[in-house]
Amino acid sequence: MLDQFGSEALWHVQACRVFSSYGDECTDTDIISTVEFNSTGELLATGDKGGRVVVFQREQESKNQPHRRGEYNVYSTFQSHEPEFDYLKSLEIEEKINKIRWLPQQNAAYFLLSTNDKTVKLWKISERDKRPEGYNLKDEDGRIRDPSTITSLRVPVLRPMDLMVEATPRRVFSNGHTYHINSISVNSDYETYMSTDDLRINLWHLEITNRSFNIVDIKPANMEELTEVITAAEFHPHQCNTFVYSSSKGSIRLCDMRAAALCDNHSKFFEEPEDPSNRSFFSEIISSISDVKFSHSGRYLMTRDYLTVKVWDLNMESKPLETYQVHDYLRSKLCSLYENDCIFDKFECVWNGSDSVIMTGSYNNFFRMFDRNTKRDVTLEASRENSKPRAILKPRKVCVGGKRRKDEISVDSLDFSKKILHTTWHPSENIIAVAATNNLYIFQDKVN
Amino acid sequence: MEYKVEAHRIMSISLGKIYNSRVQRGGIKLHKNLLVSLVLRSARQVYLSDYYGGVCLNAQHVEAKEWELMDGDQEKLIPASEESLPSTTACDQTEAAEVPEAPQPEETDSSLAVEGPEDPCEAVEGPEDTSSTEPQAEQESSSSVDSTCDVSVPSPVVSEPQCEAKQATVSSLDCETDANLAMSAEGNSHQPPKAHSCSNRKRSAEKKASHGSPVKRTKVTSSNADEEEAEEMDTSNVSNLITIFGSSFSGLLSKDNSEPEAETDESDSGSGQICCDQMLKNLNPWNTAIVAF
Repeated sequence: MLDQFGSEALWHVQACRVFSSYGDECTDTDIISTVEFNSTGELLATGDKGGRVVVFQREQESKNQPHRRGEYNVYSTFQSHEPEFDYLKSLEIEEKINKIRWLPQQNAAYFLLSTNDKTVKLWKISERDKRPEGYNLKDEDGRIRDPSTITSLRVPVLRPMDLMVEATPRRVFSNGHTYHINSISVNSDYETYMSTDDLRINLWHLEITNRSFNIVDIKPANMEELTEVITAAEFHPHQCNTFVYSSSKGSIRLCDMRAAALCDNHSKFFEEPEDPSNRSFFSEIISSISDVKFSHSGRYLMTRDYLTVKVWDLNMESKPLETYQVHDYLRSKLCSLYENDCIFDKFECVWNGSDSVIMTGSYNNFFRMFDRNTKRDVTLEASRENSKPRAILKPRKVCVGGKRRKDEISVDSLDFSKKILHTTWHPSENIIAVAATNNLYIFQDKVN
Repeated sequence: MEYKVEAHRIMSISLGKIYNSRVQRGGIKLHKNLLVSLVLRSARQVYLSDYYGGVCLNAQHVEAKEWELMDGDQEKLIPASEESLPSTTACDQTEAAEVPEAPQPEETDSSLAVEGPEDPCEAVEGPEDTSSTEPQAEQESSSSVDSTCDVSVPSPVVSEPQCEAKQATVSSLDCETDANLAMSAEGNSHQPPKAHSCSNRKRSAEKKASHGSPVKRTKVTSSNADEEEAEEMDTSNVSNLITIFGSSFSGLLSKDNSEPEAETDESDSGSGQICCDQMLKNLNPWNTAIVAF
């Protein structure tokens, strides 16, 4: 079925829920800085600039209310990080949550790692629906009883109570990084994880907080020789010895931890030679990779730079398998984007569960999906007006010149303050969560 | 010519970003500042290249031309900045007042071992070891004079007499001749070490004046070493830099009669230089940038 723009909708994206902080007034601290589904898709976590984490849980589907199939509701909210001050360097450490990664579920409790610029924390989120009653030494209000009034002993019993979800910090991994942490990634061994800053990658054991191993160090002996920094890193989904890290120069290195303790020498090096016809003042900035993600299969790698998303085959280092233009119309506007700092925006990218569709964000609250098999793509908008519950999202189009058709938006009308940097896709279903400034949009597939 | 105007603008914007990064919350972002410094470098490369070189930003084939041109440019800037000593000092003091706490930790750090508190500013601490004469130099003169010395100095061996010569005299012609002779004598093979020594000295100088200069140099290739020196001067103490550029341009304007002749002697593309000067006369963006700071 073709819509008026001639592109078939990948699937009918239906609005589900919009969560926003405190109405329409957005303070800086409410801006969502990371979104992540857990490994089953039952939980969705968001982190914001104010150091808060909000966890949503999917409702159990009920036969009685089939139209409310599996909606997400707020499950837990907690303050993960607070602003800190480094007295030695007279620097403030922002509380902004840079990344959240879930651990696989092993018991009734849920565990996630959240990080700001300097410190990673392991949080346990657990439910409490019973409480002990009938203490001997204190009464029901908690007041201590006078021992002389106690004439008999009783055994406290557990009685049901209203469900309470509590989050407790179980581990704090601090003092591991001099530079700003940009990524964390849990290993498939479920025992270790790595944290990445601009120049180093450290390997931690989830149980041990006072030690970490440095596995990559690209800091030059003379800092004036610095030419690139690490921008993102991720463990292979199945091979616990393999990880990749991306650089500000547009290259990706795959490393094998079995080869050496310090993985400064890569096993594979992925880089596409620059197209000399596109050279400009800003070539280096736009080639800097902002996100790197393994496919679920572990066969492919996806990277996001400022204007494109690329899919790489792990077996081919010389060039990407596929390149998708996200918003190439911005290529002629790089100077203005440099002036207003938009060129430094770090967009993330994400795979769907079957690795057939990839998604990434853009400006004007647009986000893009690319179907790798059919080569079709669609641009959608996350906005209040278009996101009434169960409304079908209409594909959007940016007019790049010439006559602007009705419903098209011209490049100059794009709102660059409305950017979608963070998106996540349910591991097995067509449900996506999109963060637009301080609003969280959850979209899912229309059920016919 | 539009290239130069654009390059001009981009340079002033980049400097503004570097300046602002020092006061933003959360500390200096290494990645962003590295990218900004790369843009600054590209813009300066374009700006200083001749008219035809500006067409091809990555021009390897005009590197020889640019090499001599940049000599001419740097020497041109240096004497002008020497003249502007009083204003530079005032600017430094303003800067120091704005960031009262910052210089103290930096100076403390400099006395520690190289692998002291790690910091994006560590770059300034490391090279301190290599140049013991720096502290005296810093105290004796303002950092603009140090930058004068640094930029013109090709290598430690050749630099000492030249540096002192510069501090002693304000003769632009002498400086240019000396520097050019030294440059051409050494050739490309000496570029990387001399760039490093220059940058070392420069770094120590700027460290005192400004806190947290976050700019990281790109790797020195043999063809770009000279640009690296030039870039060192650019991307250090921002207020110093603005003053240098500002005074250099006003210096150009006042010395208009003498400068073009001097340059045509040295550079192959004298006509390009003269055009550049004439354009500079008509440009206001630098004034705007200076006023902004």
